[in-house]
Amino acid sequence: MRNRSRLTCLLPTLLFSVGLAIAAHADETCNSPYVSNLIRGQEDFIHVWTLGVEGLGDGSDKLVTIDANPHSGTYGKVIHSVSVGGRGEAHHMGFTDDRKYLWAGNLNDSKIYVFDVGTNPAKPKLVRTITDLPEKTGYVGPHTFYALPGRLLIGNLSNTRDNGGVTGLAVYNNKGGYVAKYDIPTSNIGGVQGDGYGYDIAINPAKNVLLTSSFAGRQNYMRALGEVVKDPEAMKHFGGTLVAWNLKTMQPTQIFSVPGAPLEIRWAPAPGQNWAVTAAALTSKLWLVKQDGAGHWHAKDVATIGDPAKIPLPADISITSDAKGLWVNTFMDGTTHYFDLSDPEHPKETFHQHTGAQVNMISESWDGKRIYITSSLLSLWDKPAPDNEQFLRAFNWDGHALTPTFEVDFTKEELGRPHHMKFTAKPTQQAALRARGAPQS
Amino acid sequence: MRTGLLAACAAVAAAHAGVDPVPGVAPRAEFVAPAPGSYHLQRIQRTGDAVLLDDSGRARHLAPLLHGKVTLLTFFYTYCVDPLGCPFVRTTLAGLRARLVADPELAARVRFVTVSLDPQTDTPEVLRAYAKQIGFDPRLEWRFLTAHSVDRLLPLLDDFGQDVSVDTDAQGRQTRTLHHMLKVFLIDPHGTVREIYSLAFLQPDVMFNDIQTLALEAHPAASGAASTRPAVLPDGTVLAVRAIARRP
Repeated sequence: MRNRSRLTCLLPTLLFSVGLAIAAHADETCNSPYVSNLIRGQEDFIHVWTLGVEGLGDGSDKLVTIDANPHSGTYGKVIHSVSVGGRGEAHHMGFTDDRKYLWAGNLNDSKIYVFDVGTNPAKPKLVRTITDLPEKTGYVGPHTFYALPGRLLIGNLSNTRDNGGVTGLAVYNNKGGYVAKYDIPTSNIGGVQGDGYGYDIAINPAKNVLLTSSFAGRQNYMRALGEVVKDPEAMKHFGGTLVAWNLKTMQPTQIFSVPGAPLEIRWAPAPGQNWAVTAAALTSKLWLVKQDGAGHWHAKDVATIGDPAKIPLPADISITSDAKGLWVNTFMDGTTHYFDLSDPEHPKETFHQHTGAQVNMISESWDGKRIYITSSLLSLWDKPAPDNEQFLRAFNWDGHALTPTFEVDFTKEELGRPHHMKFTAKPTQQAALRARGAPQS
Repeated sequence: MRTGLLAACAAVAAAHAGVDPVPGVAPRAEFVAPAPGSYHLQRIQRTGDAVLLDDSGRARHLAPLLHGKVTLLTFFYTYCVDPLGCPFVRTTLAGLRARLVADPELAARVRFVTVSLDPQTDTPEVLRAYAKQIGFDPRLEWRFLTAHSVDRLLPLLDDFGQDVSVDTDAQGRQTRTLHHMLKVFLIDPHGTVREIYSLAFLQPDVMFNDIQTLALEAHPAASGAASTRPAVLPDGTVLAVRAIARRP
C-alpha cells in the first residue's frame, strides 16, 4: 500500500525543494551477476550518460568517456564523446552479459542506444538505436538495463496509455530484438495491493529471486518538480512497493509495502549473503529484504538517512563488494553518507560529507578505494542556478576520509548534465580468436 | 569470464590493471526448481547454420542438428582445465544425460551438441578421443563438432553471441589459453534458443525441468506428462500440475 498520508505530510517541505532522487545500477559492485569481466583492479575509463542542454555545446545527449587511470597522461580528462543527435532524457545504462556493449536509455523518447565499448573502450561507438519499445510493450521510460545471458531485462517507468506509473519489464536479446514483456502486478498478493509501478531490478540467482522497486510515471518525472509538488493528485502517484518474482517463471510471488518510492535495490554481493537493501526516497529510509527460516521474504525499514523531516532525498546507493558498507547520496543537501552494514539489521552511519550543491549518482570501484559522484537527477528536477552544478567528482577513500582526485565540470566543457556512470578497462593481453588457427585438411 | 588455464589466468590478473578474471563461483541453487510445464521459456533468438566437421571428419550442416529435438549446445575446447569452465559443463551434461536416459522416450527427444572453439587443436581425431573419455550412450544423441578453420567458426560464434579471445603473454605472443564466457544454449525443436545458461545459471535441476518443459511443448501428452499446460496464479501457484511420470 502506498503511504499517501505520508506524502501529503511531505508536501509543504517539497514545495521548497527542487529535486527528487532517481538512480540505479551505477558501479562495479552493482552490476548484474551475469556480467563477465568484473573490474576488480583499477578502472581505465568512466563512461557517463549525459543529458543534453539546449544551447550548451551541440545540445544533444551523449556518452562521455573520461580517463580514470592515474598513470595515464590524460587522467581525469574527457577523452571522447559520442553525441546521439537529440535530447530524449538520457538516464541509465547497463552492460550486456559479455560486457562488450553498453545499452543506454532515454526516459522521455524511450529510445535505447547501444554502444560498442568492447572493441575500443577509449572510443565507444554507437552501433544500434532501438526505437520499438513503446510499440512492442506499451511501456515507456526504459530505466534499468540488467544483463541476463544473451539478453537484457529492462525495467521501465511508465506506459503509453496514460503516462502513469503502471508499467512492466521488457526483455530484448543482445542483437536488439524484442523477446518478451511482463506487467508489474496491480493485483493483491498476500494481502498487499500492487501498484504496478517500476524502477530498479536486482536478481539473486541462487535464490531464483528477482526484486523490482517502484518510482513514478512520465507524467511526474517529465514535469517540473515545482509543479509536481504543488499538485496533491500528482503526489499520490509515486510507487510504494517492492515485488519479489520467481525469476524462472517470471511470476510475481510477493509484494512488500515500502512507502515513499523505493529506488535502488542492491543484493549483498558477498557469497552466501542472501539479503538486499533499498532506499526509499521520500521517507529517507533504508529497507532490508531478507528471507526467514521458512523461506518467506520480508521487507523492513532498518535505518534513517539524514533527517527525514528535512527531506534529504536519498538518491543512488552503492554497496561494497564485501557487503559491509553502503554509500548513499542525498540529493537535496548534497551529502555523501557511508553506512556500516556489518549488521544489515542495524546499519549505522559512520561518515558523511558535503560533496556538492546537488549530488545524485555514486559509483565505487570493486576494491572500494575510489568513488565517483555525478550531479544530475532529471532535466526538469535539477536545482536552479547557482546550485545547478554539473560535475563528475572523483575521490579516494581510505576508510576514514574522502580525498578529491579530479573533477570534470560538465557545464564548462559544454557537455550537459552528467548522470549514470559505468566503468571499463583496456583489453590487454588478449588477442582476437581470428588470429589463431590454420584450416583443417 | 572463464578461462582455460588457471595459472595463465592468475598471470593475466597480476599483469592487468583492470579486468581480473579470477576463478568464478560454482552455481548455487537454494530453491526448488519450478515444475516442468508450469512456465514459459522465452524465445530468445533464432539459430542459423554453419558447415562444421563431425568427429569422423565429415562435413555437417549444423542447422539440422538444431532442429527436431530439444538441443543443448555449448562451445568448448578439449584441453580446457578450468574446474569451472569446460570440464564443469562436461560434468553437468554427463549428469543430465544420466537423468534423461532414465526416461528413454524423453532421452530420444534430446540432443547434446558440443562445438570446439579451437579447430587447429581439436581435430576430428581429438574429438573422438574426447568423446570416448566421456563415454558413449546410444540412448541419447551427443554430437562433437569442430570447424574447418577459425574463419569459418567465427560467424557461428557471432550468431550465438559467444565471446572468445586468446590470451597473449607479456611479449604479445598468443598462448594456448582461450577466454570464453561459459554458455550452454537450450534450443527447441524449431531451432529457437529458449534459455542460455551461464555459470550462475548452470543449475542441473532447472536445466532438467527446462528440457522437460520444451518436450511438453512439442508433445504435451508424451512421457505421461500433463496433457494441458497448467494455469499459474499471480502468486506463482501452479494449478493442475501433474509431475511428469518417471519410468522406474
